[in-house]
Amino acid sequence: MVGRLRTLEKILFEHIYIPLKILAKDKRALFGLFMLIAYILISLIGPMIIPLDLTPNLEERYLPPSWKHPLGTDFAGRDILAQLVHGGRDVLTAAFAAGIVTVGIGTVIGIIAGYMGGKIDTVITALIDIFLTIPGFPLLMVIAAWLLQSGIPINILTIAFVLSITSWAGLARAVRAQTLSIKNEEFIEVDKCLGLSKLYIIFYEILPNLMPYIAMNFMLSSVSAIYSYTGLMALGLIPLTPGNWGAMINMAQAYVGTITGAGATYILAPSFAIILLQISLVFLANGIDKIFNPRLREW
Amino acid sequence: MSKPLIKLENVSMVFEIHPMFGEKKKIKAVENVSLEIKENDILALVGESGCGKSTLGRIMLGLLKPTSGKVLYYINGKYKDIWSLSKKEYKVFRRNAQLIPQNPYTTINPMRNVISALIPPFLHYKIARNKEEAKKMVAEHLKMVGLAPPEDFFNRYSCRLSGGQLQRIAIARAISVKPKFIVADEAVSMLDASLRIEILDLLLRIREEYGLAVLFITHDLAIARYFARKNKIAIMYLGNIVEMGNTEDIIKNPLHPYTKALIMSVPIPDPDIARKRGLPKLRSLEVPSLVNPPSGCKFHTRCPLATEICQKQAPALRNINGRLVACHKIGDIDSK
Amino acid sequence: MPKWENLLFVSYILCSMRWIIRRLIIAIFTIYIVITITFFLIRLMPGNFIDMMVYYYMTTYGMSEIEARNTVYALYNVAPDEPIFLQYIKYLFGLINGNWGKSYISNKSVLEILLYGLPWTAFLLSVSLTISFVIGILLGIFMAYRRGTFLDSLLSTLSSISRATPNFILGLLLLYFLAIYYPIFPARDSYDITIEPGLSIQFISSVLYHSFLPMLAYILTSFGGWALAMRSSAIRVLGEDYVIAAEARGLKPGRIARTYVGRNAVLPLFTSFAISLGYMFGGSVFIETYFAYQGVGQIIGLAMSWRDYPLIQGGFLLITITVVLSNLLADMLYGLLDPRIKRGGTHGR
Repeated sequence: MVGRLRTLEKILFEHIYIPLKILAKDKRALFGLFMLIAYILISLIGPMIIPLDLTPNLEERYLPPSWKHPLGTDFAGRDILAQLVHGGRDVLTAAFAAGIVTVGIGTVIGIIAGYMGGKIDTVITALIDIFLTIPGFPLLMVIAAWLLQSGIPINILTIAFVLSITSWAGLARAVRAQTLSIKNEEFIEVDKCLGLSKLYIIFYEILPNLMPYIAMNFMLSSVSAIYSYTGLMALGLIPLTPGNWGAMINMAQAYVGTITGAGATYILAPSFAIILLQISLVFLANGIDKIFNPRLREW
Repeated sequence: MSKPLIKLENVSMVFEIHPMFGEKKKIKAVENVSLEIKENDILALVGESGCGKSTLGRIMLGLLKPTSGKVLYYINGKYKDIWSLSKKEYKVFRRNAQLIPQNPYTTINPMRNVISALIPPFLHYKIARNKEEAKKMVAEHLKMVGLAPPEDFFNRYSCRLSGGQLQRIAIARAISVKPKFIVADEAVSMLDASLRIEILDLLLRIREEYGLAVLFITHDLAIARYFARKNKIAIMYLGNIVEMGNTEDIIKNPLHPYTKALIMSVPIPDPDIARKRGLPKLRSLEVPSLVNPPSGCKFHTRCPLATEICQKQAPALRNINGRLVACHKIGDIDSK
Repeated sequence: MPKWENLLFVSYILCSMRWIIRRLIIAIFTIYIVITITFFLIRLMPGNFIDMMVYYYMTTYGMSEIEARNTVYALYNVAPDEPIFLQYIKYLFGLINGNWGKSYISNKSVLEILLYGLPWTAFLLSVSLTISFVIGILLGIFMAYRRGTFLDSLLSTLSSISRATPNFILGLLLLYFLAIYYPIFPARDSYDITIEPGLSIQFISSVLYHSFLPMLAYILTSFGGWALAMRSSAIRVLGEDYVIAAEARGLKPGRIARTYVGRNAVLPLFTSFAISLGYMFGGSVFIETYFAYQGVGQIIGLAMSWRDYPLIQGGFLLITITVVLSNLLADMLYGLLDPRIKRGGTHGR
């Protein structure tokens, strides 16, 4: 029993306390982390506190910010703050789902290419080059258009997959390069002499060296996914979900010509929500390097 | 006399490279090398950079497959080529042949700490039954190589350790599975001069205790002499072995012109003696490239004794006065 | 150097460098794959799509079903009775001959529509990319030299913000605040339509006036990425021995910054040039739509909302070809600029 407690303590220490301590030295990364946590909390708890009422209320259109509607109302008289809070869920889920899928695909393909070498490597490298060249967003649009037509349901999972199709190649290339360079290091040779298996080498020697890239790429893929997801919504290319920030922007820009000063919040609120989230992720991504690379630590 | 543990028969290694320009090129890193290492014996392999000694070391360990020739290992009463062993037999070989590499900073993964690098072999070969036991064994081994108290070193990463400490860890790692044969590839070349003797002595002590055969690869003749002074030495040039025999014999009385040149190149602190000794009498200071090696005896472009036959025919290793020499110009006469 | 020597040099490089040939093959292959993807996407759509189109033609143009079907098939170069392979070959030939199908909204040739918008988009993107690149690398070196100071920290933060901001959101905000709320800049079109296109000062200034906001949107959201990349590249170069040696020799700091640090630090950025072009093309859909700027982006955007598939296909293909070609150009430029490749030395590609 005591042994178990001690291991839990050790895990907490090693995986949470130390990374936090390292991050704390980078103020921007800390800011990013707190903002991200704030976003997650708001998205989880917010909807429970603030109900979303989507019934149009034409008398209260474009109201300026007030106590009842802290961010004013939209073109149909609905509270903007409520929409904002509810929209976070969609955006964050899509972002992280896409991030996970992208990182998964990219890592696996990169390791296979780097470790196996030979013909498999040549084929995969060519594939990576091709996917890197094809412009991501137009490809995304074409796929989205096709998806709409084909009747495949557009839910978070499909979106995550579609978003990953355009962004796996970057990580795959980096992972492959890293795998190639590690493959010939001396400690791998010693591992082979010691009889340790290929799987061991991949999981315990190569993967830890890849963690900085993977972590950073996860953040950056999320950023790119948010861009694409809100972008597709803003253009109206995928069905709008209520409260989603991209949808709000879509509505906002459609009415841009008729907006008076009060309606400014309708454009500004989702815009800043998105920009702030992206900034937090980018700051966090820049700071994450230090956690995974013991060499960069100052102690 | 103990019997040979590992034998190399006519081993050659040819690398192909694909440069930016033009066609593929071939590099004959190792050409037609035959040698053997007896149980509990030391063979120092000496040569300049690029002569193929590291390649040879890796061939011996089964990390590289030679393009031709056999690597024989004594197992179950017979000599078998390691590339055609059964799975079980290969496991035995694998356990018995270990490596101590050159760069202390990359002997363990820089991203992992000491204990995570040292525990796995114990668990893999079931020398320890669980992690706790393995930890104790790691502690013992660390003490054995002079790192005490061992617990201090468990959680450190290689960036926080000195070259000497890391090389000791490398030794601990290699002997953790109780092998019979170790290849030390330039094991002390990247250490400060003051540390070298310490590590060499440590290695010699451990060799005594464990009864290991060692292939000691180095470019430094003085170190080779120190380490293998009671054993054997082999001199390599551009992929060929040019002289091989007892260390003291060869150092005191070198026969091959290249060996003589090597010995004469070792700096002597006393200027008077150095002046008397003079410089090696070589015809050219340029080392030929491995892509376009000279014909016949590869040393003929620099050898003071070279004649026509040296250009045409590569000399074979002949037994002269108890050692092997590859030279046309050395008869059974001692020439100084 | 006289021009013909340059040409000889380029052809020499082309003939003897394996990797340039490899890049060329990959480029062709990429385009080929995109063509194939779009071809099969159309084919793989469920039948009711074609039927929808047929219905549309029947009702809008009053055609009989057979006429409508033939029209639709001609639009997409589809002939369902022929084997797929034959259709594919015909499609390929059509593309090469300039027959990219017809937009079903406007009934004009797809290629014609796209080629009208291409120069505008190319203008917008190339100028924006150049300006943000130049600003980025100058900032990057500046930050690298002042590494660790407050200024560096501030600029790094600003660059990160620039990088994080989605370009379309900034575009929308700019549009709203600087063109509609305070109408400083025009909110529509690539130029004032009342002015005749030509080399007149009026026309040119009108073009510049109209392109200012879209360019600003691009530039403000891309300089950060370049700045940060240049900064880390320059920091790495500054630590190299040859720079320290140059300083020791007493070369002027300005000269060191330009010829030693600058040149060496910029080189690795060329590979990301390619990716950023693709990214900007993507963003152009938004920006051109919001600013009603008649470029390829807006065309595709409209095509998407109208489900004008031939136009979407064509647009995607055109963008890919452009990006692929500029990548190739960038690679060759890199090959010319990097002396290591010129002399065929060791280069780990």
